[in-house]
Amino acid sequence: MNIRDFKERLFTEGTKAGFTDMEIFVSNSSNFRLQVFNKEVDNYSLSQIRGISFRGIYNGKMGYAYTEIADDESITFLIENAKANAEITGSTDDIPIYEGSPSYPEVIAYNEDLNNISVEEKMQFTFDLEAEALKLDPRVKTVNYCIYSDGEGEIYIANTKGLEQSFRSNMAYCYVSVVVQEGDSIKTGGRLAVGNNWSKFNAAALAKEAVEEGLSLLDAESIESGKYPIVLRYDVAADILGTFCVVFSAESVQKGLSLLEGKLEEKIAADIVTLLDDPLLENGIASQPFDAEGVASKTKAVISDGVLKTFLHNLKTAKKDGVESTGNAYKGIKSPIGISPTNFYIQAGDKSYQQLLEEMGEGLIIISVQGLHSGANPVSGDFSLGAYGYYVKDGRIQRPVDQITIAGNFFDLLKNVVAIGSDLEFDSSGVGSPSLLIKELAVAGK
Amino acid sequence: MLSQELINNVILAALSTGGDFAEVFVENTYANSIKMLDGKVEDGISGRDFGVGIRIFQNLRSVYVYTNNIEPNNLIRVAKEAASALQGNPTVHDLVLNRVTVENNHPIQLYPKDVSKVRKVELMSLAHNVVSNYDSTISQVEIGLADTEQHILIANSEGLFVEDQRVRTRLMIQAVASKGNEKQSGFYGPGRHAGFEIWDQLDVEHYAREAARTAVTMIHADHAPSGKMPVVIDNEFGGVIFHEACGHGLEATSVAKGTSVFTGKLGQKIASDLVSAVDDGTIPNAWGSLNIDDEGNPTQRNVLIENGILKSYMIDKLNGRRMNMAATGNARRQSYRYAPTSRMTNTFICNGTSTPEEIIANTEYGLYAKYMGGGSVNPATGEFNFAVREGYLIKNGKIDKPVRGATLIGKGFDVLLKIDMVGNNLARGQGMCGSISGSIPADVGQPMIRVSELTVGGREEA
Repeated sequence: MNIRDFKERLFTEGTKAGFTDMEIFVSNSSNFRLQVFNKEVDNYSLSQIRGISFRGIYNGKMGYAYTEIADDESITFLIENAKANAEITGSTDDIPIYEGSPSYPEVIAYNEDLNNISVEEKMQFTFDLEAEALKLDPRVKTVNYCIYSDGEGEIYIANTKGLEQSFRSNMAYCYVSVVVQEGDSIKTGGRLAVGNNWSKFNAAALAKEAVEEGLSLLDAESIESGKYPIVLRYDVAADILGTFCVVFSAESVQKGLSLLEGKLEEKIAADIVTLLDDPLLENGIASQPFDAEGVASKTKAVISDGVLKTFLHNLKTAKKDGVESTGNAYKGIKSPIGISPTNFYIQAGDKSYQQLLEEMGEGLIIISVQGLHSGANPVSGDFSLGAYGYYVKDGRIQRPVDQITIAGNFFDLLKNVVAIGSDLEFDSSGVGSPSLLIKELAVAGK
Repeated sequence: MLSQELINNVILAALSTGGDFAEVFVENTYANSIKMLDGKVEDGISGRDFGVGIRIFQNLRSVYVYTNNIEPNNLIRVAKEAASALQGNPTVHDLVLNRVTVENNHPIQLYPKDVSKVRKVELMSLAHNVVSNYDSTISQVEIGLADTEQHILIANSEGLFVEDQRVRTRLMIQAVASKGNEKQSGFYGPGRHAGFEIWDQLDVEHYAREAARTAVTMIHADHAPSGKMPVVIDNEFGGVIFHEACGHGLEATSVAKGTSVFTGKLGQKIASDLVSAVDDGTIPNAWGSLNIDDEGNPTQRNVLIENGILKSYMIDKLNGRRMNMAATGNARRQSYRYAPTSRMTNTFICNGTSTPEEIIANTEYGLYAKYMGGGSVNPATGEFNFAVREGYLIKNGKIDKPVRGATLIGKGFDVLLKIDMVGNNLARGQGMCGSISGSIPADVGQPMIRVSELTVGGREEA
């Protein structure tokens, strides 16, 4: 059944069943994924998926249900189950269904050019990526991951209060990881590229970066335990920011799970730190003109020159705090409304990577951390993570370092940012950071 | 769910470019989950997953495509698009599908969809009340109830056409005890391949009391010691170590590519003589049981290890081709969104002859791990680490004081060889197992076992 016909029938039947307001949130996506191993296609998959999420207010309480198929049975299923779920819900928080914002920004996140790339070209690119990596150096033993994937999606939201909006985006990524070996030393190096601009996918350059990183780590050793100045490479800084971004959610604050409670308009970071949530970024990974409740997107500074300016809100948390929603409602097809950042990043500074090293003088560059899910506690801000990178002296890389842990506290880290690089990059979820020079972190090694 | 004629045409379309095997998997799943926090329902969500997965082989090459647009024209188009990844001329031109009837070993008396949500909440409230009334240190209680009813249809180019259903129900009880700024938790998550009738047969109050007791015991416990010592791991969910550290290494997924330490070891001694282990997907109404696996083969009882000797791997169709061995009824997937691969069902170490009392009495000093928590394993090296949820010191053959924060560190194949006592109180516990074909329900299990030496803690500086 056509989704608009489905919606009309669903809302008609829902009204008969006693729902006052109702909404559907629909996600359509198609994906392509190719993995190459040893000059052969190891994995080839295609998908096209639709999910329909329904929520409605029954006797003043919200009930949820979802389906992947728009047939007659699903209409009955959604209404009966959402009603039963509303009836058992103990929460009486007043969650509104939104009539829509007066206007919506224009957001570009779809690149038609990506559709013109044939499967043959994508295959050739992926084979090239593996071949380039293998031929660069005899110490490259195997390319353990060589993946190209792309996809597009459309979000459609409509409700009985008159809201009806849709939005389309597309994205591609590729990832190459190599295993290099010299003597007993075995290391890996990897590179990820994300975007919807095919011309930026350069197999030779990506393979070279991955191989060089792997080779640069051979014969790494641990280092004396102690406190060191640290450069967090852009991707590591984004990993850490992404892990702790939940502390900026008003939901966490209201539940007493964020130490930022009561700190609005206070200085929580170094003066040079500005943290943005920007859903309007052109071709950004998490760009969108409206959020999961249909609230118009807008760019905001969460931290401006070190001062905490706002939390991220949906309609429910905004109402509780007496403020406006920041347009950060998030919803999966199978989950209730929550809060999520969009393109969430620390604004780039003006220092080159080399300048950061020179400013550090002696210290460590961290290029990878492990154990973010078990070794980081967003409630306390504490983290203790396996890590590797390089030892730097006199502003120059001296040798690779592994088998260390770095430990610190996210809230202290924000205050201890000494300098910010110009090399802002985003990860595959839309979190981004430039490389950051941190005053010091505790390093456990030898 | 889909007509036999349409499926026939989809399979032929999938084989139009020289594929030598094609399979269609159709799924219609109803799911409910309810979360209760401190006695109030936070949210209930119900849903319906519906989709089709098409898989094509050409020798060892495999292509997978899935969709939930089931318009006949779209399915044919999608099958052809998948086939375009392969090159060759069709070798199969017509196909006769033979409908097979599955013998149901897992009777369902009360389908979850026929039980009102109010009644489900009553069950959850019962568990909540037992936990919250257990002790004044209990500070938070979270109860989850989940049920699924999965209808599947599997057809393939070998003529198979079979339909089946899987109904599962699970209760998750989490208790948190607090003292000052400290928090400790206890957990119990009983589940079955069964309907709601199971809650009349299982003792829900017992599970709730155990979760509460663990949290309260641990909040008063001292820190665990570090070092190498004998470790006694109790039955039921204690089997998680065998599952993670050995079971995954016996899956063809890793054996076929040579990345498992157990590759090429059939017929060899890999465990102590006391150890026999089984993967059995046929146990009536067990959490990890299935009538047929996700390739349509009947599940079976596979003896993995017999008196220390490696007897069998767990094998799916594609890896069976790589290994030149027959499939063992272990192909599983979370949903139509995943191609199936070899996975565990209900995997456990078999009963030995010692009583639990004898095992403790014969241990002069060591750690007794009553309940295990989560952990992880590096598949390339076999190194694992697991948290002990409820642990005690053993001194002079007696269980001494409780200890918290213990982790167990070791290598899978070392541990198997170091098992020096096996109890006679086999029991199974329920878990969700995550791997490349998604998250699937699986039972782990064992009787009480003793490992002669394991590293406990490991936080001390080397």
